[in-house]
Amino acid sequence: MMAEPSYDFAPVRVREDLVAAHRRVWEHISRPGTWWTGEQRRAMAAETRHARDCRLCRERATSASSSKMRGRHDGLGGLPEPIVDIVHRLTNEPGRLSKDWFNEVLAKGVTEAAYVEVVGVVTQTVNVDTFCHGLGVAYHSLPAPALGEPSRHRPEGARPERAWVPMVSPANAKGPEAGLYPLGGVPNVGRALSLVPDETRSVLDLLAAQYIPAGRVSDFWFDPQRAISRAQMDLLAGRVSALNRCFY
Amino acid sequence: MHAFLLRVSGQISGNEYDLTAIARDEAGESGVPHGSTLVAYADAVLGGDDVALSHARERLLQELGAEALVDAAAVVATFAMVDRIADATGIPLDGKVELMTQGIRSEVGADAFASASNTPRPGLLRRAIGRVLAIFLPMGFRLMRAIRR
Repeated sequence: MMAEPSYDFAPVRVREDLVAAHRRVWEHISRPGTWWTGEQRRAMAAETRHARDCRLCRERATSASSSKMRGRHDGLGGLPEPIVDIVHRLTNEPGRLSKDWFNEVLAKGVTEAAYVEVVGVVTQTVNVDTFCHGLGVAYHSLPAPALGEPSRHRPEGARPERAWVPMVSPANAKGPEAGLYPLGGVPNVGRALSLVPDETRSVLDLLAAQYIPAGRVSDFWFDPQRAISRAQMDLLAGRVSALNRCFY
Repeated sequence: MHAFLLRVSGQISGNEYDLTAIARDEAGESGVPHGSTLVAYADAVLGGDDVALSHARERLLQELGAEALVDAAAVVATFAMVDRIADATGIPLDGKVELMTQGIRSEVGADAFASASNTPRPGLLRRAIGRVLAIFLPMGFRLMRAIRR
């Protein structure tokens, strides 16, 4: 039986649409993905949590030139080393990821699409865990993995653009990807994982529940009807991005 | 991008927000209602001090209420995710956003971030257009605000 996220014991009431969105993410992580099995995806989520105590990552965080530091991460042991490296760097020092490092990842045999799926699982795990941390509740138990094989679906509409990985534009979202962007114009960050459309669907679902639907972000008058104002939301967003040293 | 959206929020509502509050080491006053409380909360969620987080959470709860705490936690979580997606995929700033945020980016120090290299440096023409937009966009937003009243 899958452990379902619950906020029944949170110090404040969590609105139902958020609870539902986090349950969908947990179910999404546990299922076979596009390139990874449910067991591997769950292992990535577990490694994300474990990464926070990694000694190598802590040493790199205080180093002026972390790219030159070599060593093995304190991993759990269930994933190939290149994947552990992706998980740990993405969790602990996302602002230092570089194209050169990404090319090294590819040179180790990780495909672009497999990489994108890892990014999807890790970042969504960070999302739910950060929410729990912010509220002062314990992290949810990770879901039991579901059996089954990855779909190995590569969207025909994925094209190289200026990003490190190919993406699907709204104009090329056809066939199985029709409806990938229900509100039309989506900023680059909403398309960033579209080489693995199921990760995009899950991320956009979270965005809508937690922030603003991706297609409405640049609608300056859009009011998502939250308890904090749009300006307060954007102040929080800007501060988080500044702390993460994220240019985007 | 969100520094720009914050500026626009201010222009639409007739307020001048201090964007540098986003990047200052200490939570300063941005002009956004309860801004320093929200910034302190974001800092505490991403920091490693559980006592500081407990205090920041309590302060937010007292000033803004329970629903606001949930929404603030949700926004912080969203950008913990979104920032990582952006940095892990090397996406550049969207074209229009790049044009409209040239001045703002230097105001908040974003051009110094390593991930700035994912967005091509604008050429002379784009820089000129950016400077023109920086002058006329605020007027445009003020006009639209007046029309919508």
